[in-house]
Amino acid sequence: MKINPLQRQLNLLDYALSSLWRRRMKNGAILAIFAFVIFLLGSFQLLSQTLQSSAEELLAFAPDITIQSLVAGRQTPIAANKIRELADMYGITASSPRIWGYYFDHDNGANYTVLGLTEEEIGAMTGVILESGRLPGAPGEVAVSPAVRQSLDLAGRSAFSLFRPDLSQASFKVSGLFSRETDIVTGDIILMSLADARHLFAMPEDMVTDIGVKVANPVEIDNVARKIAGRFPETRVLTRAQIRKTYQVVFGWRSGFGSVCLLAALASFVILASDKASGLSREEKREIGILKFLGFQTTDILALRFWESVVVAGLAFLIGLSLAYVHVAFFDGGLFKPVLVGWSVLRPDLSLAPSLNGADLLLIFSWSVLPYLAATIIPAWRSAVIRADTVV
Amino acid sequence: MLIQCEHLAKTYKADEQVVRAVDHVDLDIARGDFVVILGHSGSGKTTLLSLIGGLTSPDSGSVRIHGKDNWSMGDQHLSLLRNKTIGFIFQFASLIPTLTVLENLLLPLYFGEATDNRREKGMELLARVGLADKANVYPSQLSGGQQRRIAIARAFINDPEIILADEPTGDLDEETEGDILKMFRQFNEQGMTFLVVTHNANLAASQNGCRTLHMKNGQFV
Repeated sequence: MKINPLQRQLNLLDYALSSLWRRRMKNGAILAIFAFVIFLLGSFQLLSQTLQSSAEELLAFAPDITIQSLVAGRQTPIAANKIRELADMYGITASSPRIWGYYFDHDNGANYTVLGLTEEEIGAMTGVILESGRLPGAPGEVAVSPAVRQSLDLAGRSAFSLFRPDLSQASFKVSGLFSRETDIVTGDIILMSLADARHLFAMPEDMVTDIGVKVANPVEIDNVARKIAGRFPETRVLTRAQIRKTYQVVFGWRSGFGSVCLLAALASFVILASDKASGLSREEKREIGILKFLGFQTTDILALRFWESVVVAGLAFLIGLSLAYVHVAFFDGGLFKPVLVGWSVLRPDLSLAPSLNGADLLLIFSWSVLPYLAATIIPAWRSAVIRADTVV
Repeated sequence: MLIQCEHLAKTYKADEQVVRAVDHVDLDIARGDFVVILGHSGSGKTTLLSLIGGLTSPDSGSVRIHGKDNWSMGDQHLSLLRNKTIGFIFQFASLIPTLTVLENLLLPLYFGEATDNRREKGMELLARVGLADKANVYPSQLSGGQQRRIAIARAFINDPEIILADEPTGDLDEETEGDILKMFRQFNEQGMTFLVVTHNANLAASQNGCRTLHMKNGQFV
């Protein structure tokens, strides 16, 4: 009787499924551990990807070049009138003063980023999505994220006040609420006018924290930055590419450290799985012997083991990845956020919108499923070559 | 000739001593023969059966089934031979304990085309060995004799040309033994070939036209 190869594989898959079910305690334990390892790897990868892409979004709002004043290597306020000196430099289309600082709220233990911009710059912020209201236009108006509003305990109110350095209070009114979609960018930001920010931090007139420069031709950014640094040797001139690189280095270190720890966990699991697959019990040897004298070939036993591993790894991959998505999307990746976000522990909680792409899936699959298949299939050869007369 | 053994030999090492389990045996079995090999424990009967069934490789000599040498073919040929041409009945419990009786019975059909009547065929054979009501129980819930009857039924599931049986009625009660031997006779009358090794002389007497051989120290005497 001619056997249809597809039918043969379906039969073997059927037997593999029943075999897995028959040893459900042992296989269930392996599945649970494997799914947990994939959950850890998936969460880490998903969270780091989400944070990295969010950091990219953050840079989208940064000027092409940022100029800061340095004294003894420390940042100090810079005179806004330097903008006039930049006006005649070839390649620069616009320069604007900014006040970018941090405000620590003792009462709530939160660290807010205060961003003061000119009216023109606020008007040009087309990339920021508002959940409700509008961007600040009048004196004392601010835009905040839902997390900042919650941290300030505003409830239904829109007015609040912050302490100035002399402990007098500066009053503000929330005019708009940033969308949660841009939480990584706006999650801790209080956006206000330049004058309000200067008043809050009690900065001298005409002084700002940095100057943002826009360059007409992106290819010329480095050249223009070099020219600015030449003209103002007392300043630090940062291009967007340099800031991105700094983010990547800091983030890459954290991400790499975490990955090494998780890969060590995966390696331990793979060794355990390999050990399990190679150490056959007497009962399993007997079963293979019986299958052999009933007509199963060596390749059939290998196929059986392959299907068993595929089912376990496939299920673990689906379960682990689904849990990882839930972890990042609904629990903000709480398990790894302190490792990856680091300094931001004082920031108001930020919510993340994970984006899963094919490359991430392939990466997690390559890191988890493929090593598992290799670790279980190769030792399976030992069981597959058990001779039919083993049981005689 | 359906089965031809020429100068078949197999030795084992036990406690530094070489044991000649099968010592240059010649045997021809034609289609429809019922051959019984009698002999005491250790006479080499089971090893001979394993060699003919392609479970054990010989040290020398050959086993030909349908004129083809078992050991000159590959694993695929031998597996197919064990699955389609030969039905095995062993003296040990050869059921998989985590499969039900019916699942054990249908195991050799895993490589056949899917047919609707598999289950019916399995149930029919279970009825023939008197265990139709045990289809969904596990081997551990059966007595040794009942397990043996399941293994016997399984040997017939693929309608093999040859049945190789090692002490098939070893732990059966007299009545069940009679039923099983009657079943053997019926299949034999339909053209199935039997090679049975046993120390039970009554088994040989129960079959019409049975060819009886005696084995001692790995040789026919």
